[in-house]
Amino acid sequence: MKLKVNGVERPVAAAWQNESLLSVLREQLGLTGARLSCGIGQCGACVVHVNGQPVASCVLPVSEAAGTEILTIEGLAREDASLHPLQQAWLDAAVPQCGYCQSGQIMQALALLQRIPDPDDAQITQAMNGNLCRCGTYDRIRTSIKNAALVMRETR
Amino acid sequence: MAQITRRKFLIASGWVAGGVTALVALRHRAVAVAPTIIFPDGESGATWVQIRPDGACQMFFPRIDMGQNANTGLAQIVAEELNLSIEDIQGVQPNTSQVPPLAVTAGSMSLTAFSRPMAIAAATLREQLRGLAAVHLGAPLSSILDAVGGFRTAEGQSLSYAALVNETSLVIEFDDTKSAPALYTFDSNRIKQQVGHSKTPLGTRGLVTGEPVFAADVPVAGVLFGRAIQPPVRTARMASIDTTGVAAVAGLVALVQTDDFVGVVCKTPSAVDAAMAEIEVTWDLEQPINQAEIDRLVDVDAEMAVGDLEQVLLDQSHRKTVDWAIDLRFDVQVQTHAAQEPRAAIAYFKDAGEGGHQLQIWTGTQDPWAIKRFAAMDTSLSEEDIIVYPMRLGGGFGGREHYEVERDAVRLARTVQRPVKVQWTRQDEFTASRNRPASAHRLRINCDEAGNLSDWWHGYVTGHVILARDRLPGWLLPVARLGEDMGVVKGALSPYEAPHQRVEFKDVDLPIDLGVWRSLNAAPAIFAIESAMDELAIQQGLEPVDFKLAQMGDQHPRLQHCLARVRALSLNATLPEGSGYGRGFACGIYDNRCFVAISADVQVDTATQAIRVHRLCCVQDVGMPINPGQLRAQIESNLTWSLGMALFERLEVGDNRIKSTNFDNYRIPRMADMPSVDIEIVDQPSIPPAGAGEVALIAGPPAIANAIRNATGFRALKLPISAADITAGLRGDRQVPVN
Repeated sequence: MKLKVNGVERPVAAAWQNESLLSVLREQLGLTGARLSCGIGQCGACVVHVNGQPVASCVLPVSEAAGTEILTIEGLAREDASLHPLQQAWLDAAVPQCGYCQSGQIMQALALLQRIPDPDDAQITQAMNGNLCRCGTYDRIRTSIKNAALVMRETR
Repeated sequence: MAQITRRKFLIASGWVAGGVTALVALRHRAVAVAPTIIFPDGESGATWVQIRPDGACQMFFPRIDMGQNANTGLAQIVAEELNLSIEDIQGVQPNTSQVPPLAVTAGSMSLTAFSRPMAIAAATLREQLRGLAAVHLGAPLSSILDAVGGFRTAEGQSLSYAALVNETSLVIEFDDTKSAPALYTFDSNRIKQQVGHSKTPLGTRGLVTGEPVFAADVPVAGVLFGRAIQPPVRTARMASIDTTGVAAVAGLVALVQTDDFVGVVCKTPSAVDAAMAEIEVTWDLEQPINQAEIDRLVDVDAEMAVGDLEQVLLDQSHRKTVDWAIDLRFDVQVQTHAAQEPRAAIAYFKDAGEGGHQLQIWTGTQDPWAIKRFAAMDTSLSEEDIIVYPMRLGGGFGGREHYEVERDAVRLARTVQRPVKVQWTRQDEFTASRNRPASAHRLRINCDEAGNLSDWWHGYVTGHVILARDRLPGWLLPVARLGEDMGVVKGALSPYEAPHQRVEFKDVDLPIDLGVWRSLNAAPAIFAIESAMDELAIQQGLEPVDFKLAQMGDQHPRLQHCLARVRALSLNATLPEGSGYGRGFACGIYDNRCFVAISADVQVDTATQAIRVHRLCCVQDVGMPINPGQLRAQIESNLTWSLGMALFERLEVGDNRIKSTNFDNYRIPRMADMPSVDIEIVDQPSIPPAGAGEVALIAGPPAIANAIRNATGFRALKLPISAADITAGLRGDRQVPVN
């Protein structure tokens, strides 16, 4: 079995083919940006993109992700190592407190902006409401999504 | 261990391989927060700052980062003192072998306790370098002026720090017996470049790019995966255990069982899940675990009916028989930390032949040195054979101080002699967290003929906090409990003046595990106090803010300022017309040094059974803001927690277990719950900084409750407040206290 993650084909060892996508990303491929929090797809800390869609990788069997295009937070920075506009907006607004949920927040936000380049407040809330942040950084997340959306539209 | 001096530590760790280092001993500034900590003593250090031979500035971070970003504020102080930019500071999170024990990161004490020692260390370093510059230039010391990253003279000569420092190492020790050099950080006349500015926290970039920063992210070659059974309460003893099905699980490496510990080690995470599902345990309990039992144990009225409560915080001409204007009982339910990161640790026993420490532990903990000590007791290794690498915490909130997930990893790793990673499940987190106790408060207040407070009587019963069972060794606990539980008394003394006052309490064991939770007892106590004062004002036909300002006397000008300002701030938005809208206010003092006032605008729709907080204003005064942006972030966080405490969160227990298991049955605030937020930080350039991590949570819940009273006439007597309670209360199904 192979996984195509951030544009690169990676083999999955036989003993790991019954694991969740999250476990394989973290423990086999060394991509630890997506994180385990609830384990039941209810909090968004483990969100990655599978064929462009945001999914909770903690409940997705890795076998179902084979043959798809997977994008993780580690694949967001550009080739020259500059940050994606969402990451830059997150940095500029100093969004993270503990930071544990933020990879998932950014990946969820990316999916939103790919679908709706100029989301209003209600659309942001609807898209982001399943991504929990115990530190309570929601206002800064909202602000950063708007700021990144502006940059992404301008550079389109 | 105590014989090893700071200097030896620094040499052993390779820290002083060159350059100039300044360090400061905390001495009597030890931070007494939790009884499990190792107190810094005369041989301990707190702060280390170094200019390396290449001119780079390094500091050991004395705090554990868990979202409060205290180390960033401390780095700003170092940069200010050394005329550097925070970007020039290289922060190093020390492991337990690099520095003597540091105090637990808790109690919002980081800036309070460390800002001055850190400033002294950096300023001492600066002045030492200034002396070197004077020698170097052959000029008198007084002619050596500050410059960015070094010094200059009026004649136009300049010297960078790098030019002054070479491979010869020099250690300067400062202690309290010496007079401190000029501290730029606390000079209110200085125009500051670093302190007082909203710098992006150090390490933020790694958090938005997904770098490995948490314990479970650490790559360790050959790591296996494990987990252990968590009891519903730490006093539970296994009555029966059935592990029959475990052996058949594919990928099982070991089943580990000793006394009341049972866990598994497997080759993959899903095998751990499968193996753990095959373990059936039944428990013997000392007390039944259910809500009725908790309610019975904190029944303040039953306790006060019997007589005086055990502990008296204040007794001033107390009068028991008064015709009380306010006689209300407030109940606050159990809440849990629910940090986003389920705690994790990796433990690895190396063969003695490999050299280095025999036991390595990577973990996210508020108290790395306590983890080392407890691991030594658990394994019979000496502390010198153990090294703990503290990792960033995915949220602490008081819940990550104990040897727990580390114990699981250590015991499992020792059995298999391979590195083992343990990460608790979300259910483990809910089951085994040490929660904020339930408490019940009886508030009795009366006024004189002029309408001023005459009598105040606050009795409350709560579960233990700092002196909770199993937070101290069993032999010590009864002794410790002869004194006051510093967590239980927080927030209990009101800022209001009355000639006749009594504040008394009793703290008890509850059938669940208890401990430190953000603000400790302050948020529950101040919910009761501020609700009662609001009700009294309404009863007297007075505006609650005016009434509270008047009843503080002249004792609390900083709190009065916050309350008056938040009222002004609240008036920037008009409350919508129509029924169901209301505005409420509350204020409070945390730890005698942090002042906060909050207004809440709410809407209660009894038809749709919805309570909506539309707007929160907050004015907070915690002294000098080191990093206003991060101070604001802590306020935002506390306001979010205020929503949870007021409206959503209650740990559900019953059937002798913890019934809250995950975010689908323990509701924490979400983006859709967020109100608009208006925050004002009071700048106090001449007052040293106090922590902000737990402050605004004390005033948020009563502000929301008071707004609901204003909107509907319903006085919330229980947290969390539900729309159903409001509807029932207004219908008269349940007892409505007044009016």
